[in-house]
Amino acid sequence: MNITGMLYGSKLLKLVDFPTSKVLGPEADEHQIKDMIAECGEVFVKPIFKGGVGKKGKSGLLGRAKDVGTAMKEKERLYFAEHFHNNTKAKAEGVTFEGAVPAEYEIYFSLSDSTEFRAPTVTLTHHGGMDIEELPADKLARIPFDPLTGLKGFVISNGLKKIGAPAELISPLVQHLPKLWDLYHFYGMTMLELNPIRMRSDGKGRLTPVACDFKCSFDNDDPNVARLGLPDDLDTSSYSNFELEVNELRTYQGQSDVFVINEKGTITAMTFGGGANALVTELLGDAATISSDFGGNPPYAKMHDISRIVYKYWLNQSNVLFIIGGKANNTDIFETFRAMSDALRDHFNAYGPQPLYVVVGRGGPNLIRGMSYMKDTLDSLGIPYQMFGFDSAMSEVVNFAQAVDAWMKNGGREIVAKQMGLSVQQAA
Amino acid sequence: MHQSGIAPFRKYFVGINSLAELATKKDRVCVLNITGGESRTVTPVSHIYSGGNIVCGTAPGRSGSAMKTAAGDIPVFDNMAEAVNAGVKFNVVVVYLPPSGVRDGVIEAIRVNPDLEKIVILTEKVPVRDARIIRAMGQLHGVDIFGANCLGIADAHNHIRIGGALGGSAPEESLLPGSVAIYSNSGNFTTTIAVYLATAGWGSTVSLSSGKDIYIHYAAPEWAHAFHMDDRSKAAVMYVEPGGYYEHDLTFEKPVVACVVGRWKAKLTKACGHAGAIAGSGDNAFAKEEWFMKKFGVDALFTPDNPVCTEKGAVVTNIAHIPAALTAVMAKRGLKPDFAPVGDLSMKCWFSNTQGIELPKPLNPPVVKAMAPYDEQIGSLGEQVGAVFARQSMKDASGASMMDSKTQVTRVHGVAVLDSSTHAFEENLVQSLIREYPDANGIKLANVALNAFVNRAGHIGLAAADAARESGNAPNTVLAAAVAMVGPKDVEFSRHAAATLVNLFKKVHIDDPAASGVDFSAQLGAAEADALVSSAACERGAAMLAAIKARGAKSMFVDFLEALAQKTGKHLRGQVVLAAIATHLGWKPLMRKRLSALTVSNMPWHFRVFSTLIGSAAGSAQQSTGKFCNVADAELMKSYSFTETAYMALFGNRPDADALYGFSVLLGLITSNGPGTISAQGAKGAVSADGPEAPERVQINKGYIGFLTHTGFAHGGNGFEAIAFLLDRFRDSGLKDPGSESHGLDLAAMATAYAKQYKGYKSKAKAEGNISYEKIPCVNHPVFKDKDVNYDPREVFVNDLFRKRGSYNVFHDFYHNLVQALYKTGVSKNVYCVNVDAVIAVILLKMLWKPYAEGKISDATMEAAAFTTFLFGRMIGSAAEIDDHTNRGRNMDTRTPASACAYVS
Repeated sequence: MNITGMLYGSKLLKLVDFPTSKVLGPEADEHQIKDMIAECGEVFVKPIFKGGVGKKGKSGLLGRAKDVGTAMKEKERLYFAEHFHNNTKAKAEGVTFEGAVPAEYEIYFSLSDSTEFRAPTVTLTHHGGMDIEELPADKLARIPFDPLTGLKGFVISNGLKKIGAPAELISPLVQHLPKLWDLYHFYGMTMLELNPIRMRSDGKGRLTPVACDFKCSFDNDDPNVARLGLPDDLDTSSYSNFELEVNELRTYQGQSDVFVINEKGTITAMTFGGGANALVTELLGDAATISSDFGGNPPYAKMHDISRIVYKYWLNQSNVLFIIGGKANNTDIFETFRAMSDALRDHFNAYGPQPLYVVVGRGGPNLIRGMSYMKDTLDSLGIPYQMFGFDSAMSEVVNFAQAVDAWMKNGGREIVAKQMGLSVQQAA
Repeated sequence: MHQSGIAPFRKYFVGINSLAELATKKDRVCVLNITGGESRTVTPVSHIYSGGNIVCGTAPGRSGSAMKTAAGDIPVFDNMAEAVNAGVKFNVVVVYLPPSGVRDGVIEAIRVNPDLEKIVILTEKVPVRDARIIRAMGQLHGVDIFGANCLGIADAHNHIRIGGALGGSAPEESLLPGSVAIYSNSGNFTTTIAVYLATAGWGSTVSLSSGKDIYIHYAAPEWAHAFHMDDRSKAAVMYVEPGGYYEHDLTFEKPVVACVVGRWKAKLTKACGHAGAIAGSGDNAFAKEEWFMKKFGVDALFTPDNPVCTEKGAVVTNIAHIPAALTAVMAKRGLKPDFAPVGDLSMKCWFSNTQGIELPKPLNPPVVKAMAPYDEQIGSLGEQVGAVFARQSMKDASGASMMDSKTQVTRVHGVAVLDSSTHAFEENLVQSLIREYPDANGIKLANVALNAFVNRAGHIGLAAADAARESGNAPNTVLAAAVAMVGPKDVEFSRHAAATLVNLFKKVHIDDPAASGVDFSAQLGAAEADALVSSAACERGAAMLAAIKARGAKSMFVDFLEALAQKTGKHLRGQVVLAAIATHLGWKPLMRKRLSALTVSNMPWHFRVFSTLIGSAAGSAQQSTGKFCNVADAELMKSYSFTETAYMALFGNRPDADALYGFSVLLGLITSNGPGTISAQGAKGAVSADGPEAPERVQINKGYIGFLTHTGFAHGGNGFEAIAFLLDRFRDSGLKDPGSESHGLDLAAMATAYAKQYKGYKSKAKAEGNISYEKIPCVNHPVFKDKDVNYDPREVFVNDLFRKRGSYNVFHDFYHNLVQALYKTGVSKNVYCVNVDAVIAVILLKMLWKPYAEGKISDATMEAAAFTTFLFGRMIGSAAEIDDHTNRGRNMDTRTPASACAYVS
């Protein structure tokens, strides 16, 4: 789950007592906005995107207003703004009004786990408020630190000194930034970025860091995230109903990772193993409805549930049900095939039969018993199929599934329907 | 902070200098959570493959036990400290703990064991927060950690596998000794790549499944160093996915084929597949392909059509291209494969059925003989009949029933009890065993079989039941006494006959056993067929055959038996005809492998218990030789449904259509309440104690005794409470016919009067501090309670069933008036639901009202009838549990470990 923006960011930062800019949500009325302008001199109007969406400022999706009229116009412009970034399109759902924080310095701060250092790492610069990628290395401090002690003031101090940060920044940042470790580590984050933190002056030379934008990613596997009590729908924009339903099955035995590739796809691949997931999804391209990884030896009940959900969402439009994985090390093929077969029979019982072609490529413990169970089920349902041994190249089996899909698209679906005794309507 | 390890790594600790040190013959292993689901199957294989390198395991509460393997027992301790204190020495810990326990397991391993050198973490979904700490702890104490979310390490030369299941259940098949080191982000591909390499003649040295979480504790840089230091490894294959910079700075001195997969993952906004395989712009698949291309000095990917490589290596994006790429790279160095190719990667179709569709040739590949040992297994498929279920602990679990906690509706073999209630008793009994409903022909056969053994006159079981009844026992105890007399010897002949029939016909592809004209000349000539006929004539057998004819039922198995009797000049016993009918009923699901052969051979025993339970509900006064409740046995077999017989056993007369329907609905509704109910637990416990792993020894009748002893006045016998409540309301009402809407009673007034009376009683009781005041039976429900007007959907369903039939029930009507009255008089804050138990009471009372009003039956008889009805219905669900547990359970699997039990003083 990802969160961007100050609407929730300010709430999270308050947990560790980190100063933030003033924020009003989309429901703010004219009086509240007027008061904010009076207090801060200016407001920023920012669209709210669910999930993680970057580079909004660069795309002109940032409004500024010094009067209520302009603020409302910006609200109208940005309320349902669309933004295309990182191959994904996002649509705004409301705006926030954020009080301006006048400052001389803008700080960039982030915490993440670096695969280079294999340790939590802070990235810091006083040349903030811009794209961090555009900064030369000598203006950027990247410092790994020991998670057993956490982010300490000396780490911040050393980092700032290394990049020659002005002395007046050091004390307030050393005082405040270590708090962010608590938020990061103890609430299950994998990335936390504040950009910019603006250094507000109290007029007497004393500076206070104020977070003016917020971005974080949470670890789906960390139960500590639940301690925040965040609303369930905070990041639903990035999950389809199908993904949400499957995600409910997340337990440690057996993967249940899915990702919708093409809502109009015609091959539904039940893929086993992270490697097979990477390979098969790549080769199937847009013909695939979903990308999936159901490996990790799921027990029968879980595999049955997963199959039930997958069939419910995708089988009707699919020409090919494609069951594919390498030679399993530990996943019991009999149990998983029995679950997929039983779920298929149940699906036909509940939704009626449909034309379908099944292609299987798999290896592993109890392979023949599993294939045999599926064979019996498909025979009794009248579904044509081919099952390939694990010593067939996986990519060739993918090609075969694609060839079957092409044949089904070119009249094969009707032929299968006829053979199964289905009407034209059922074939469609 | 970190310990100093080997010299090349100054910034962090690495203890392993060569791949030869990863999995050695000297390593001694402790497995955490050794008895967990995954370890239980993997650990014994590793132990055997590695010549017994696992010295202990931990499982809280299981200290003193052992994991049995063919390479010797592995002792189990509660925790690692206990193992260390017991003097067990180990330098490797393998972690199979659930994600929430992994960090603490690692810390504890480091704390208690000064000899610790390596930790292998198999667990998936370890939170990143814990991975940070695990990494830091390993660094601080100088321990090499592998994973998490990996499948461990295997050294094909040393014949050692540590951690996970590389090579699966038969490691020798895939881990062929050779010269190639394998490093893979994917556990499955570690083995798959080894299999693929063998097709080009390349074997492996060490296979390492690195895992692909964000933290890879033992990652590419230290692996690459160890690869160079291992003289056995002449080349390597790396399988890497996007995300992370682990491979960025690698330099190679030996040839390497890198397979980078996952370009599409650039689309991802969240991880799918491996947790760490989500990338930014600098570490996506394209970027990683570039890294490796630069290292190898190539300007394109290697494909069979464009085999670009140097002597340093090649980059592929398809694992199928790895063997060819490696051969090409090694050829540039003048090196040849390790051995002759083992198989190839061409398409091998093992199973195919086009269902008669004309397909283009490429879509209809020929079925080829599978590699050994799979060819033999496929060959033996023809021999194996029916399903073989995997055995597992079935404590509080069932493959037969399931209660949906939201709707409170239980399903037995996928059929909701609401739907069961629309099927006849005999259909539900058959369905409980064969997992689907019999067709009309099957129902006829079932009725013959079930009715054939109902009359218990002269049988010791009936005497036992009578004696039990006379000594004041409740119906469950009475029936248990009778069921005890249907032991293994009584059914031996039937069970053997069923097994013989299955064996004789398993290879004859018969789609419908009701088909006539089947050629069974071969079976008639088979020697074992003789076991099915007897020299002595059997009256029951003849009566059953006559009844089958009279009902117009068809069965190939019966036809076969008759032909056999004719051929041999011998006779058919009733037990054999019963076996033929059971085999007929189970045949289709058996052939589809939905049923086990064991179930089919046990079905005659179940049937005999069904008949005994119904037959013994009537006392010896109601049965004599040849007659049951004044109906001739032959007549029962020819024209009675088993539902009618059951009704007659209870109430003495054949029911009319309305009563039959009500009785049928009633029995269907109380079929099951899932595996957690006491009656199911009793049945399952009885099977578990016999040891289902030797299923032929399980005493099926004892399973039913377990069910019966686990019912009682609080469970099953409590149905009478609601009847007694209704009797108090209607006793003096002058009600004649509870099925007539023109009963002339003002139900609303009766309900209101009672509600007021109850309100007064409740207030008084509360004022007196009596909080255990009597509750009104069958209203309200802990789940269906929060709306203004509440309904129990099960009650609604049944109410609709009767309404559509135009069947009226005054008691049911009264209950609906009552919940309104309770609300209106302020007893309840909303309108309570009438719950499903009320339905059971009102159906039963409607059936019994007339004889009761006429003084023909007493309150005690009524109570016994209510309890026995419950037992009849619940017998259906119990049959399903007994058969399921016999097929799937493990010996003594229903026990609770001592650590989970409490002592109360």
